[in-house]
Amino acid sequence: MNIAAVAMCSALALWTSGALAQPAGPTDPQIAAIVVTANQVDIDAGKLATAKAHAKEVKAFAEQMITDHTGVNKQATELVTKLKVKPEQNETSKSIKQGGDDNLAQLKKLKGAEFDRAYIDHEVTYHQTVIDALDKTLVPNAKNEELKALLIKVRPAFVAHLEHAKSIQAKLEK
Amino acid sequence: MIGPRANPVSSVSRVAAKAAVVLCIAAAAGFAIPAGAAKTYTIAMDGTRFVPDTVTIQRGDRVVWVNKDPFPHTATTDGTFDSKSVAPGHSWSYVARKAGEIPYVCTLHPGMKGTLLVQ
Repeated sequence: MNIAAVAMCSALALWTSGALAQPAGPTDPQIAAIVVTANQVDIDAGKLATAKAHAKEVKAFAEQMITDHTGVNKQATELVTKLKVKPEQNETSKSIKQGGDDNLAQLKKLKGAEFDRAYIDHEVTYHQTVIDALDKTLVPNAKNEELKALLIKVRPAFVAHLEHAKSIQAKLEK
Repeated sequence: MIGPRANPVSSVSRVAAKAAVVLCIAAAAGFAIPAGAAKTYTIAMDGTRFVPDTVTIQRGDRVVWVNKDPFPHTATTDGTFDSKSVAPGHSWSYVARKAGEIPYVCTLHPGMKGTLLVQ
């Protein structure tokens, strides 16, 4: 697990453990910011990967990540606009953004098969972290039913991405 | 088609009358459309699942997959049909010609599986 992934895991784990100063979990505006940021960092990583990936399968995976996470963000943005929820940046969303930036900086130094492995390793960790956050923090704390429903609806896609990334990871290790 | 033979008008009327009787019987039996006619079944691609995931149909029936997710899906078999990418809000349909069990998947999302049972 790289540094960026550790940072993001820690940020999301803090909410779960209640170690932050907040007495309760994130509010809906904070959840909105976390969701949008989490999708955006994977879109950004995907854009870098479509340009730098070596293996065809890795490139195709990156393209799909851009498509799927852009779709989720579009729907999330439409929903929060409709609900008049203004995304509110918070420690978790900032930390995810930082983790995403660190990941990009690290990936930019790599090439070829090394890049592919690092990108896919991070994708495995990232999707696992997001699924855990959805289950332990985001879904249980979402107050608005439509926001909660959207989180539940997109969860299986994250699981599919995780399984897909793991299968590519296993092939790259051979 | 004007001919001196027979009585084309009344012959057409008889056919129409028979068809009307068949329709009435079908309607009385609770069918919305004439018995034996092909039906259309809709399967949603929703929440990265096929809903319902198993559908039993007759040969000649049409199946329509409607993508309700914010990203593309496919309905793809090993040789029988392949929708290719179905964009959000779009649909794709297939008319089943052969009987049998047809498993299909979304090639973009492993684990998203469905089955058509064609009788």
